[in-house]
Amino acid sequence: MTAGLETRELTKAFGGVVAVDHATVSFRHGKVNALIGPNGSGKTTFFNCVTGMIRPDSGTASYRGKDITRTAPHRVAAAGIGRSFQLCRIFPRMTVMENLLAAVRPQGIGALLRRSGGAADVERARGWLHRVGIDHLEAAEARDLSYGQQKLLELAGVLMAEPETIMLDEPAGGVNPALIDRIAALVRELNAEGRTFIVVEHNMELVMSLSDHVVVFDRGRPIAEGPPADVQSDPAVLEAYLGV
Amino acid sequence: MRSASRWVALAVGVALVLAFPLVSPNAYILSAAVVILHYAVLSTSWNVVGGFTGYISLGHAAYFGLGAYGTALLITRAGVPSFLALGLAGLVVAVLAVPIGIAALRVRGASFVIVSIALVLILLLVFQSWREVTGGSDGLVVPRPFPELLRPQHHLVFFYLFAALLALVLLAWWTIDRSRFGMGLKAIREDEDKAQALGVPTFAYKLAAFVLSATFTALGGGMYALWFGDLDPVFQFSILIGSYMVLMALLGGVRHLFGPVLGALVVGVALEFFKQQYGDTQFHLVATGLLLGVVVLFMPDGVIPAVRGLLARRGPQQSSIREVSAAELQKERVP
Ligand SMILES: Nc1ncnc2c1ncn2[C@@H]1O[C@H](COP(=O)(O)OP(=O)(O)OP(=O)(O)O)[C@@H](O)[C@H]1O
Ligand SMILES: [Mg+2]
Repeated sequence: MTAGLETRELTKAFGGVVAVDHATVSFRHGKVNALIGPNGSGKTTFFNCVTGMIRPDSGTASYRGKDITRTAPHRVAAAGIGRSFQLCRIFPRMTVMENLLAAVRPQGIGALLRRSGGAADVERARGWLHRVGIDHLEAAEARDLSYGQQKLLELAGVLMAEPETIMLDEPAGGVNPALIDRIAALVRELNAEGRTFIVVEHNMELVMSLSDHVVVFDRGRPIAEGPPADVQSDPAVLEAYLGV
Repeated sequence: MRSASRWVALAVGVALVLAFPLVSPNAYILSAAVVILHYAVLSTSWNVVGGFTGYISLGHAAYFGLGAYGTALLITRAGVPSFLALGLAGLVVAVLAVPIGIAALRVRGASFVIVSIALVLILLLVFQSWREVTGGSDGLVVPRPFPELLRPQHHLVFFYLFAALLALVLLAWWTIDRSRFGMGLKAIREDEDKAQALGVPTFAYKLAAFVLSATFTALGGGMYALWFGDLDPVFQFSILIGSYMVLMALLGGVRHLFGPVLGALVVGVALEFFKQQYGDTQFHLVATGLLLGVVVLFMPDGVIPAVRGLLARRGPQQSSIREVSAAELQKERVP
């Protein structure tokens, strides 16, 4: 089994609140992983620590055997990890196409000064917009899109950077059932093409149908992991969710 | 068709600028035009960092002053030929801007504004008190590059020199605007953390834009020193000059190549008018403050976009996707 994203004793406290507490987790590379847990259990903070958005207090994170602890977000992205945000984040005053072009990663000064929106980049962007189903909105300003469309746009932007591992923070949050199905289908397809997923999600139906491997957080620690069916019946998980 | 009319407009604009000295009635008008061109250079230079990244520096007078004094001191102290001194001063400021940028660009928003102001105030104090070198508030006389020229010819030459510098800065802004580098800078303006998560090396991008902007501003300052011939820390390192740059860019529109030039024209003419009308009072300070307030509150995108928006509303109705999406939003949210 190839090593994918792994953390060892990862810890982050905000004042007295230990949001992530000595979390040692390894996700299945090449699979769809789910990260679940009650509200405030540290899932988003865990994402932020791994992707370099916030510095963990202690512990390590590695990706494919390479240490990525306290690595700047753009370097984590360059290492092959893309992510979405819980509260969908796009570039509101750019067009849909520009949102994708902003994710192009040029190498070298010459490439940097070359015109943005060259034929190859635009072609690739259209491909992703088509796949998420908003290619007809290419020229629209992103802030004029509906929330569901913005979520799709964010996903297309993440994909434009061609990450091999994609971390999604509540992709189904606040979107209608039809759209949830579309997003789920897309995750399956992309996974079949070789991309690894780590998905934070509260929609249990979606988690159970989509994922190969589930990690459960409670108060900043992983308390259970395994195939969805096993995790579902784990007493510790039931306790965490029911708050006994 | 559209791009053809654009080229025609550009050619007409360039021709008008180049022909202006020929039709300008007297030396006073010509010198006022030089002042406006120099504002246009500064404001467009400011826009290289302010417009693309949204980092609002109120302290760009620092690089203006450093460029001016750098040029002057290289000429008077080291005997460097005038225009070589100008280029060297630009280079020195570029080098200085690297550590300054590394320190200042760590903070965002209002904190960045304050850091940028602090730098000007520090430089003002240094240049005022370091009298042996800078002449302090007695001023520093800069030898003229063309001593044989009479005043009107002097203005004429500098009109074209400033126009050439403006063309250079505009070309740089235009190149960045359409480049992938520029797209990364605009992503920073929109949402810096998101941009970085997508892989944009935000700090390196910001720093590069900042250094470029400071360097162009310094060249504007050096050119000013050669033209005006007399420097005083109070005027070179003034918050007012920095505020003008911001005001002009915001007024004309920071997202538009010619926005700052338009702003420089409007503010420059207004300032000259007030000076003519009311003499050297503090009135222009109040006017500047008011104008800055009005623009920030009512036209945050500047005059060009505001007028465009007005024309669009007058013109044939475009179908708005925002209306559609509001309905869709209702549908798509989980009840
Ligand atoms: N920037 C912050 N400052 C202070 N406390 C924070 C911050 N971010 C998160 N926390 C706290 O850390 C804990 C974990 O929050 P986090 O957002 O990681 O949980 P989560 O599992 O993503 O929750 P949810 O399912 O509601 O999104 C919470 O108690 C939260 O209040
Ligand atoms: Mg969360």
